[in-house]
Amino acid sequence: MSSLALMRWLEGAPERYDAGMRVLSFGRVARLHAAVAAAAVVNSGDRVLEIGCGTGAVTELLLAGGATVTALDQAPEMLEQARKRLAADAPVEWLEQTASEIDRLPERGFESVVLSLCLSGMSPSERAFVLRQAALRLSAGGRLVAADEVRATGWRRLLQLLWRVPQAAVGWLLVGAVSQPIPDLADEIEAAGLRVIRSETWLSGTLGLVVGEIADA
Amino acid sequence: MREVPAVVKRPLVDPCKEVLQTAFRLLPWPTEAGLRRIGEPDETSPVLLTGNYDLTVRRLARALDGCDAWLLVAPSRGINVWCAAAGGHLSTHQVVTALKTSGVAEFVNHRDVILPQLAATGVTVLEVFRRSHWKARFGPVSAHDLPAYLETGEKTDAMRRVRFPLSDRLQMAAQWGAPTALVLGGLALWLRPGFALPLALLVAAMSVAIFTLYDRMGNARKLVFGIASVAAASSITALTSSDGVALLTAAVAPVFITMLLTFDYAGSTPLEGGSHFEERKWRITLDPDRCKGVYRCWEVCPEACFEKLPNLRKVELAHDDRCIRCGACVVQCPQDALFFQDADGTRIEPDVIRKFKLNLLGERKVSAAPFE
Repeated sequence: MSSLALMRWLEGAPERYDAGMRVLSFGRVARLHAAVAAAAVVNSGDRVLEIGCGTGAVTELLLAGGATVTALDQAPEMLEQARKRLAADAPVEWLEQTASEIDRLPERGFESVVLSLCLSGMSPSERAFVLRQAALRLSAGGRLVAADEVRATGWRRLLQLLWRVPQAAVGWLLVGAVSQPIPDLADEIEAAGLRVIRSETWLSGTLGLVVGEIADA
Repeated sequence: MREVPAVVKRPLVDPCKEVLQTAFRLLPWPTEAGLRRIGEPDETSPVLLTGNYDLTVRRLARALDGCDAWLLVAPSRGINVWCAAAGGHLSTHQVVTALKTSGVAEFVNHRDVILPQLAATGVTVLEVFRRSHWKARFGPVSAHDLPAYLETGEKTDAMRRVRFPLSDRLQMAAQWGAPTALVLGGLALWLRPGFALPLALLVAAMSVAIFTLYDRMGNARKLVFGIASVAAASSITALTSSDGVALLTAAVAPVFITMLLTFDYAGSTPLEGGSHFEERKWRITLDPDRCKGVYRCWEVCPEACFEKLPNLRKVELAHDDRCIRCGACVVQCPQDALFFQDADGTRIEPDVIRKFKLNLLGERKVSAAPFE
């Protein structure tokens, strides 16, 4: 799976981002997006909060599923790409802000919160804060869908480590930011007060998809 | 209560890291973002913020030895404060993220954070307050001035200015000289081992000369300097060998030296931006009608271009010949009274400067209308 370092470099050129992501994920990114959107939108009309929307690839699928989306990203260039991708009258609100500012959005205001490929770029304390705040934004029965680079287990961990050496070197030289795969995504989502109802890995265990729902629902 | 934050990693003086990180300052050196303790801080201690450039964090901790403070390391991709702020990697977003997610609010009974002055090109204090309810102010340019600043609470004129003293010049020389010497010396080692050491030494000597002498010379002296460098390179070549390769080297040396002397050090010194920097021809312009005498421009200008006119409650752009177009004043002015203007009158509005940062080529990629 792509290192976040390379993604960040790609963020510098948003027009190349989608093509770059396809290459870095060996073509799997479209399937991942589809899986995230399918998990996030249960009913037409669901209100979805998408944190780190990037160029809007997942946003587009969420809208196609009938959702009303609040999409945020801190990079104005990415939001511009996302806006270009979608129809001007699409039911989506764009917010240029960081994930740490979701505490300003209404509590219990969303049926779903989506975090696609953005958590691994955060420090552990930032992740904990964002997941806790995301859980508070969920309405009764709501779900959090997170997909990101995760730490592989067993022999696959060795493969991941070997692959990470050249990947990290290039990323470090280009942008100085080497992403750290999240050690245990499901565990962090449970720590935010949610019950994990689905947890699976892709790409030899290096990419995780986790769905959590409100524990008291 | 959350877990008490760690102190800055020891040792604060690590000769290996110091040499490596100085020689390869062009590369980012990230350290973990988050809250650190300096000394024994309590709930009234000041909160200082910086980027997660390892060299800076260690130097800051050294400068603050003996003080009690909270050090908040914001994620700036391992890039130093000034470059990260100009390039959009230490912006309002990263400051707000650090303030909100590090847990610092649980350890202090105030909401004041001191930012490095050179972050002023990227971080908008009004926006930080709006988004986090923390009051940010700009401390001194140099970490060495922090103890005095914390002690007195006063920022002197000298603390506001960026200097380029010999120690900084030598670090710049190392930053450019070490990688170049390594690459060229390495190539020579492969092609012609006898040349490797003299070539590496020549590059090192020239880097030091460029950053300590060359930029302070007049054109006539630069010419003499160039000719002397070529003569030195040719002498080294002649002394090392006398065959065809030596002749070829003697021919190539002047080209190489000319390249070094005319190389674009693209904003790596506080003296001027690189020639790629599109905005170098633009002038900072003050709209005196809009100016309400808040003096934030005066406070953040690293070249002291502004003078206060307290009787009028205005500023005057008294020394715009010193302006390096860093844009800090434009970003901070709450009245939008400052902007860049081209010779033909075209403007770059303050919101564009605030939102769209420079890439490595010194271009401002303006692709989107500002969002609210």
